[in-house]
Amino acid sequence: MAKKKTDDKSDESSKLNDSDSGSEEPNFSDPEDYVDDISDSELLGDLLHQKPKETDGYENVIVVDGVPQVGPNRLEKLKSVINKIFNKFGNIVNEYYPVTADGTTKGYVFLEYSNANHVLEVVNLTNNWKLDKQHTLSVNLFTDFDKYDSIPDKWEPPTPSPYEGQADLHYYLLDPDAYDQFAVVTVNVQSVQIWQNTLPEPTLVEERNNWTQTYIKWSPLGTYLATFHKLGIALWAGPQFTQHKKFTHAYVQYIDFSPCEKYLVTFSAQGDPANPDQKSIIIWDVRTGLEKRSFNPEGPSAWPIFRWSHDDKYFGRVGNDVLSIYETPSFGLLDKKSIKINGIRDFNWSPTDNVVAYWVAEDKDVPASVTLLELPNRNEIRKKNLFNVADCKIHWQKSGDYLCVKVDRYSKVRKEKNETKYSGMYCNFEIFHMREKQVPVDSVEIKEPIQAFAWEPVGTKFAMIHGESPNINVSFYEVKVGLAPILLKKFEKRACNHLFWSPGGQFIVLAGLGANGGGSLEFVDTNEFLVMNTTDHFQMSDVEWDPTGRYIFTGVSFWKCKVDTGYWMWSFQGKILKRINLERFAQILWRPRPATPLTEKQQKEIKKNLKKYYAQFESKDRMRQSKASKELIEKRAALMEKFNQYREQQISRWEEKKSRRMALRNNVDTDELDADTDNVEEEIVEFFVKEEIIPID
Amino acid sequence: MKPLILQGHERSITQIKYNREGDLLFSASKDNKPNVWYSLNGERLGSFNGHQGAIWCIDVDWTTTKCMTGAGDNTCKIWDCETGKETGNIPTASSVRTCMFSYSANMAVYTTDKAMKQPCEIFIIDVRTIDDSFSRQEPILRIPISGSRVSSILWDNLDESLITGHENGEIIQWDLKTGKKINSIKEHDQLINDMQWNKDCTMFITASKDHTAKLFDAETLMLLKTYKTERPVNSAAISPIAEHVVLGGGQEAMEVTTTSSRAGKFDSRFFHLVFEEEFARVKGHFGPINSVCFHPDGKSYASGGEDGFVRVHSFDSSYFEYNFDY
Repeated sequence: MAKKKTDDKSDESSKLNDSDSGSEEPNFSDPEDYVDDISDSELLGDLLHQKPKETDGYENVIVVDGVPQVGPNRLEKLKSVINKIFNKFGNIVNEYYPVTADGTTKGYVFLEYSNANHVLEVVNLTNNWKLDKQHTLSVNLFTDFDKYDSIPDKWEPPTPSPYEGQADLHYYLLDPDAYDQFAVVTVNVQSVQIWQNTLPEPTLVEERNNWTQTYIKWSPLGTYLATFHKLGIALWAGPQFTQHKKFTHAYVQYIDFSPCEKYLVTFSAQGDPANPDQKSIIIWDVRTGLEKRSFNPEGPSAWPIFRWSHDDKYFGRVGNDVLSIYETPSFGLLDKKSIKINGIRDFNWSPTDNVVAYWVAEDKDVPASVTLLELPNRNEIRKKNLFNVADCKIHWQKSGDYLCVKVDRYSKVRKEKNETKYSGMYCNFEIFHMREKQVPVDSVEIKEPIQAFAWEPVGTKFAMIHGESPNINVSFYEVKVGLAPILLKKFEKRACNHLFWSPGGQFIVLAGLGANGGGSLEFVDTNEFLVMNTTDHFQMSDVEWDPTGRYIFTGVSFWKCKVDTGYWMWSFQGKILKRINLERFAQILWRPRPATPLTEKQQKEIKKNLKKYYAQFESKDRMRQSKASKELIEKRAALMEKFNQYREQQISRWEEKKSRRMALRNNVDTDELDADTDNVEEEIVEFFVKEEIIPID
Repeated sequence: MKPLILQGHERSITQIKYNREGDLLFSASKDNKPNVWYSLNGERLGSFNGHQGAIWCIDVDWTTTKCMTGAGDNTCKIWDCETGKETGNIPTASSVRTCMFSYSANMAVYTTDKAMKQPCEIFIIDVRTIDDSFSRQEPILRIPISGSRVSSILWDNLDESLITGHENGEIIQWDLKTGKKINSIKEHDQLINDMQWNKDCTMFITASKDHTAKLFDAETLMLLKTYKTERPVNSAAISPIAEHVVLGGGQEAMEVTTTSSRAGKFDSRFFHLVFEEEFARVKGHFGPINSVCFHPDGKSYASGGEDGFVRVHSFDSSYFEYNFDY
C-alpha cells in the first residue's frame, strides 16, 4: 500500500511538473509594494487554533526554582546534586543552568526529559523538595508558566450549569397499596423486566433488552438497581429507571453495597487489559460516582472481602494475622494501623452496633477463641475460649440481640501431608446474649452434621437442619433472657436442605434446592409449629421472600437447569398463586424496602387494630377481583363474538357444498352422526359379560 | 371417570383413530400389529397381522370396510375390516409415515420418508377396487417433496386438495388436479406431529414439537388460535360437540428417563377452543401421549401413549356442565 501511495504521489507531482513545463506559468507573486489587508483569523480562522505556539514542544521541560546560587567553581557539584534527584524519574536529555554575567547561577534550572509522561510525576513528587535547611526546590512545568501567564486579569464568574433535579428515588415506596416490585432476568436477550406485584395481576413497569450482561442486584434499601456490563457497573433509579451513575471497572464479577447504600465495592478478577494498573477491588461513592479507594486482595478469601458496619462508618477485612478496619469518609486505616490478631480466621459486624465478632484458630497451646470487639475504641467486650475447633461460622441475629457461633469440633485429628484431617465431627452452637451484662454465653451441642442454620429475622428463634440423609431433621430453638436455648420442636425425616425465614419472622419455608433437593417445599408457622402446606416445585433453585413476608417466589433458573424454567408465586401459607413458565428465565429478585419508620409502639397499635383494617382491605380486594373478572369476561365475550362471526361464514359455505359432499359418498348424508338413519345397518354385537357356574345339587 | 385401559400392544402407540360412527377404535403401534377395539367396553375385536415393522399411521374409510396402514417395513397395506385380511399391499422405497383415505374413499394418500437416498414423496392411489393387480397399479399422482419431509397429512372434504404438515413446521396446501402447491405457511418452528379436522372439516388443529398446538382455517390456512404448553405436543383433537380441544404430548421419549414422571407432564390437556385457556388435565399415562382423538359423539376421548396403552375416557357429567363465563 505504502509503496503504491508514494507512486501515486510521484505521479501527481510529475504531472504537476509536466504542466509547469508545458505552458508558461503566470506569475502569482505579490508586487513588492503590496500590503496584505486580510488578517490571519479571516483567512484561516478555523485552523488558527492549531497554530504552533512558542511553548509547543516544551511539555517535557520542567523549571526547578529555589536552587542554591553558586559560582562557576561549584557548578559541577550542583549539577551532580540536581541530577541525583531528578535522574531517577526518567532520562534527562537537556539541561540548562542560566548564569549571571559573573558566572554565578541564577537560582533556577531548566531540565528536559525524554518522555512527557514522566514530567507530571516529577512535578508531583519533587515540588517542595527540601534540599537543605535554606533551600526548598519548587518544581513546575514549563508550560504552566505560559498557562498562568495568560490568565486574564479580569475574572469572569463561571456560568452555573443548569440544575438537574434528581428523580424521586423513593417513588416506589409511595404506592398507596404498598405493592412491592420485583425484577426478572431472562438470558436469551438479557432482558430485565421490572414488575409491580399488583392485585390481581402483576403489572409490567419496565422492560429492556440487554439491560445487563450477566445478572442484576438491588441495593440493600432498594433504591438502586445495579446491572453488570463489560465495562463496569451501572446503577438505575427513579420512576423511569434512568441511569444514576456508572462505575467503570472492566469485567466486574461481584459487587457489594454498604448497608446504607453510600458506597459500592466492585471486584474484578480479570481486570481491564487496557488499564493494567487498575486494582481488582474498588470502593466507590454511590452518590458522586467517584472512586474512593482501591485494593488488591491478598490471598484467597470469601466474598464480600470487605465487611461494612451497619452505619457505613467502618469497613474491615481479614489479612494475615491482622484485622484491618478502615474509616469513612477518609478511607484510611482506623488509628492508622491494623489490629494485630494472631491466627484470625474470620469476622463479622453486628447488624446494629459497631461491634465485631472474630474467631481465632487453635495454635499449639493456645486454644481457639471467639472475641467480641467494640470499635472504634478497641474494647474487648467478651472472649470465649474453645477447644478442638475445626471451623467456626459467625451468625448474627438481624436485630443484633444475639450472636450464634457455629463451632465444628472434632474428637480426633490426624496430619497427612500438610493436610489436617478431622474425624468424629460434632457441632456446638455458642449463643452470646448481647444485651445482657457481661454477655453470657450458652452452648447447644448437636452430635449430627449440620446442613443449615438460620436465625429468625425478628424474634428469638433459630432453626437448623441436621442429620444425614435420609434422616434429615429440622429443629427449632428459642433463646430467652437468662435461659439456655430451649428446643421447641423437632421435625423428623424431612426432605430439605435450606431454610428461608419470612422477613417478618414467625413463618419459615423448608426447601430442598438443587439436584438432590427434589424441589420440596414445606410452609411452617412456628407459633404453633403448624405445617401449613407441603408441596414442591421440581428442580427449584431459588426461594425469594418478598420484603413484607406476604409472598414467596420459587424459581427454576436457566443457570441451573435447562428445562421447565420459570417462577411460581406462593402466599406465605403455601398457597400457589401463579405459575409463570418462562423460557430461559434466570433470576428473580424482590426490590428491598428500607426499614419501617414506624416505632414499635405504632406497629403494635396497628397489629391490635388489624380487624378494622382487615375489612377495608377485604373490600378493596373484592372490588379489584370483580373488576378483573369483569374485564376477563368482556375480553372473552369479544373473542367469542368474533369467532362466532367467522364460524357462521364457514358454516354457510359448508352448507353450500353439501350436495357435492353427498355425491362423493353415494348420496348418504354423513354430516351428522344420525343424519341418515335410513342408511344405517344395525349390527347387534353380543358381549360376554359374566360367567357364572352354579353347581346343581 | 374411570378410563378403559386397552392393553394389547407390546410397544408404544403411534396413532389411534375412531371410525365414523365411533363404535370401533383403530390403534397402530410400533409392535407391527394394528388392533381394532370396541370403544364401548374396550374389548379387542381383532388385529391386522402381516406387517414386519413399526406401524406409523392408520386410517379407516367412512364406511368402515377398508383399513389402511403404513409401516416402517416399507409397505402400505389395505385391510378388510370385517375379516381382518390383508387385501392390498404396496411396496415402497422407504417407511410410510402418513396415510389417509379421501372423503369419498375412492382414493387414498400415503407419504414416504426421506431415507436411503429416497426423497420424501406423496402418492395418491385409487382404492376403489383392490385385487391382485393392486400392488402393481400406478399411482394417480406422485408429488416428490424436495424440502422438509411430510410428517402429517389431511384430505379436504371434496377430494380436491391435500394439506401436509412438515418436519420444519411448514404447512402446505396442494391442488390435486395439477399436483401444485396452492398455499403454504410456516407458523410452527418445529416438526408437526399431527393434524386433525374439526367436525365439518373447515378448520384443523396442528400439534407441533415446538410446544404449541394451533388452529387454522382450512381454506386460507389462516392462523386462528394458539394453545401453548411447556412440552412437545404430539397430538391434538377438536371436540365435535363443545368448544374444546385436547392436547397430548410430553417430554420426548429419549429424554424421559432423566425426568420424573411428574415433571414429564404426560397429561392430556384440555383448552377452550376460542379463549385458548387451559381448563382441565387428565393424568394417567406414564410416558408421553402420542395420539389423542375424540369419539365422534364427543362424549368420550381416547389417548394412546408411548407406554403402549390406549386409554378411553368417558366424560363425567361435570364435564358437560362446565361452562366458561362470557
